[in-house]
Amino acid sequence: MVKITVNGREVEADPKQPLIAACHGHDVDVPHYCYHPGLSTVGSCRMCQVEVQQGTAPGRVMVACRTYPAEGMVVSTESEKSHATRRECLEFLLKNHPLDCPICDKAGECDLQDFTYQEGQATGRSKEPRRPLEKRHSLGDVIVLDQERCILCSRCVRFFEEVPKKAQLTVASLGSRSVIATFADQPLTGNYQGNIADLCPVGALTLKGFRFQARVWNLVKMASTCAECSRGCSIQVEVLRGGDVKRFRPRENAAVNRWWMCDTGRFAFDHVNAKDRLVNSLVRDGHGLAPRSIEDGIAAVRALLDAHSDALFVASPFCTVEEGASIQALAKRRGTTALFVAPGPNGLKDALLHTGDPCPNRRGLTELGLQPIEPKELAKKLASSKAAVLFGERVVELAGAAAIAALPTSTALAVFDCKAPDAAACTVAIGVPTSVERTGTWINVDGQKGPIAAVKPAPAGVRALARHLAALDLRAEAARS
Amino acid sequence: MKPFPTWLLDRTKNKDSHTLAAYEKAGGYQALATVLKKPMSPADVIQEMKVSELRGRGGAGFPSGMKWSFMPDPAKDPRPRYLAINADESEPGTCKDRVLMEQDPHGLIEGALIACYAIRAQAAYIYVRGEYRKSYDRCQAAIDEARKKGLVGKNVLGTDFSCEVHMHKGAGAYICGEETGLMESLEGKRGHPRPKPPFPAMFGLWGQPTTVNNVETIFNVPFIVTRGGAWHASIGTKGSKGNFLCGISGHVNRPGVYELPFGVTAREIVDEVAGGVWKNRKCKAWFPGGSSCSLVKGEDLDVVLDHDSLKTKGSSLGTAAMIIIDDHTSIARVMEIIARFYDHESCGQCSQCREGTQWLAQIFHRIATGHGLPGDVDALDALAKGMAPGKTICALSDAAAIPALSAVRLFRDELEECVRQKQDPIPYQRVEYAGAH
Repeated sequence: MVKITVNGREVEADPKQPLIAACHGHDVDVPHYCYHPGLSTVGSCRMCQVEVQQGTAPGRVMVACRTYPAEGMVVSTESEKSHATRRECLEFLLKNHPLDCPICDKAGECDLQDFTYQEGQATGRSKEPRRPLEKRHSLGDVIVLDQERCILCSRCVRFFEEVPKKAQLTVASLGSRSVIATFADQPLTGNYQGNIADLCPVGALTLKGFRFQARVWNLVKMASTCAECSRGCSIQVEVLRGGDVKRFRPRENAAVNRWWMCDTGRFAFDHVNAKDRLVNSLVRDGHGLAPRSIEDGIAAVRALLDAHSDALFVASPFCTVEEGASIQALAKRRGTTALFVAPGPNGLKDALLHTGDPCPNRRGLTELGLQPIEPKELAKKLASSKAAVLFGERVVELAGAAAIAALPTSTALAVFDCKAPDAAACTVAIGVPTSVERTGTWINVDGQKGPIAAVKPAPAGVRALARHLAALDLRAEAARS
Repeated sequence: MKPFPTWLLDRTKNKDSHTLAAYEKAGGYQALATVLKKPMSPADVIQEMKVSELRGRGGAGFPSGMKWSFMPDPAKDPRPRYLAINADESEPGTCKDRVLMEQDPHGLIEGALIACYAIRAQAAYIYVRGEYRKSYDRCQAAIDEARKKGLVGKNVLGTDFSCEVHMHKGAGAYICGEETGLMESLEGKRGHPRPKPPFPAMFGLWGQPTTVNNVETIFNVPFIVTRGGAWHASIGTKGSKGNFLCGISGHVNRPGVYELPFGVTAREIVDEVAGGVWKNRKCKAWFPGGSSCSLVKGEDLDVVLDHDSLKTKGSSLGTAAMIIIDDHTSIARVMEIIARFYDHESCGQCSQCREGTQWLAQIFHRIATGHGLPGDVDALDALAKGMAPGKTICALSDAAAIPALSAVRLFRDELEECVRQKQDPIPYQRVEYAGAH
């Protein structure tokens, strides 16, 4: 570690990390495009110009991403010289940029917009027509490229070379005719394509799925954890105000996913946006499952539990540690052990992030003492049981909707799920919130805690599983009466 | 002009000068034998180079002996090491290396072997500009001949010293003449220059210690070894020693490549060597060393052509490729052509260069075609200052900005006149070139 002065403040810096990292580490913002902490540095955008003074030599403006801290270095990110150099650089970057911000999906979170605003480059000398290029160049199923907006920072090129380690993109042609391209216009492949849309500092690479879906300033953003696999990547859930989840984006977490996430996780929000939600409760009467109040549903579940002292308790692998603990406590008081549905590997495992295990909280629930059970085993076990209660988000789906539907009516089934089950054995079903509608903790495959956040409210008539469990707690009921 | 000793182009006058037989007849490979059998240590060779005060002929004029001494000590750094010879001669106006490679390829190969010995390199790579087919063929034939004689390959001349010489053909990009761009291209990647540091001597070809030298620099090495560094240092002016190849082109009567000693004035070259400005016209402006250095006014032809004297005129020697522009020529049009070249050749990595070269080309085009807008000349000046100096990874941005800045500095009135009159004051004439000799 060496001591350097940044904007008059003495700080410690790692001489092996570029100066820009030291600045960012001490909350000093340095505008940049090509630099990304997760990628190699090329120093090509020339935006991160800061004034550096060493010894008695006069200050020189240098790019902070290719300069390394040295003892006694005096760095100014705010000097007039560095601002002037950055403004100059911006003038060049904006020369051919189409400035179509009003219809750009990146507007509001665009580095070109932000740094131009920050540096105050209000006028430009450019009188020439802008470089006409392709506005909608498809790069496969996930990404669309707007060549006009591209500032050729090459982050996307380096991402494929360095993170999934399978080079797919390149800068084609020379000079002002350069464009980002794949070899022979082949579509991008792999499970990590979406990351380049996050990496892109401008609106050149956008997600096909997010194109024209929302203005980003209308998105409510909260830190949460991905439900796709047991890696539990840290993500940011973004919900259009009063509407649907529009994006999952990776959130930097050095211990888990660094800056990345897979596409399977990124686009796994069909379930949380599903419209056919189970609200209040459904209780079976002579004609089938009929809508009832939550209280009626809870009473039916309690009746089921009273009638069958050996009822199986089966949790969803989406249950949080907190929910799992309540289920386990309830099971223990009844003298049984709770199980949780644990489907086997789904074949999506890769060397980077995806573990192939579709149970986000397998480790958390196992540590609580819940027993994992494969869907096939569970179906057999349920068929031979007189009664069972299934708890939690997507429990029926993961246990195998067809297997549950095929259960004989000799098994009395109570279900707490987001979706109404289609099963003859089901006597009562009560709605619960999805993973973007409740709070709690998952524990990932390496033992890292991942918080999940209530980014949007659950539909009316859906209460947290914890409340249902409290209502079911017979001892608590007894104590009250 | 006083008579002066020559050596660089002497052998090219011999019959079949490109063959090994002719080369050996003219005393070829004696320097290599001296180095290997005398024997001289690698340090001795480097010392001789330092004494000779030879400066790189590729444009930057860096002292060659010092460059070689930057290579790490092999006792401390056992990595393989390479010599890369920059034969990607693409600076506009420059055509000197081509003459050497076509007419005297063995001279280059002998120099390469000695250089490899001095820097303890296992192999030399000659990166030839793609358009130089004849140079490539002649050098390749020379390597094959030399290999048969045991001069290239394992155990050169029966000694412990082994050295390979490889040819590599570029694909015609100007940027691959930049040393780090050249190395990237040699590695099979896009010719995108690398940021420095790390410098090639520590992290060069395939990440190994590498020295990059120009063809003419390497060509001088056998002469320095045979005749001694002190001999070389006795010729020329202070700071610029020896002879240089001057490629003179443009509006002169006898364009061509000439061997000249440092210390002659530009006027002597134009009038005595190149036969004067054509059609009895006057020289309006000239580039001393390719299009990447500042323009110099015609009345400043009395400047001595060497590394330091040209700085007094705000320019530099570059590759010593003089381009003479007569007084019937529009500067706006000259600059339009030059700016278009840099726009075409910028690699596109750095923002300033990628957008700036295009921008300069657009503005010069506008001015030259009579569509200039008020403020264009000031914009040129400001934009070029935003591109240079040292604001980008490599010097191409500087190379594009420097001539533009000099044009604005020296010919602002003419450019402003173009803008004001909405037409070029010098009417366009079809240029009939006299044709190279």
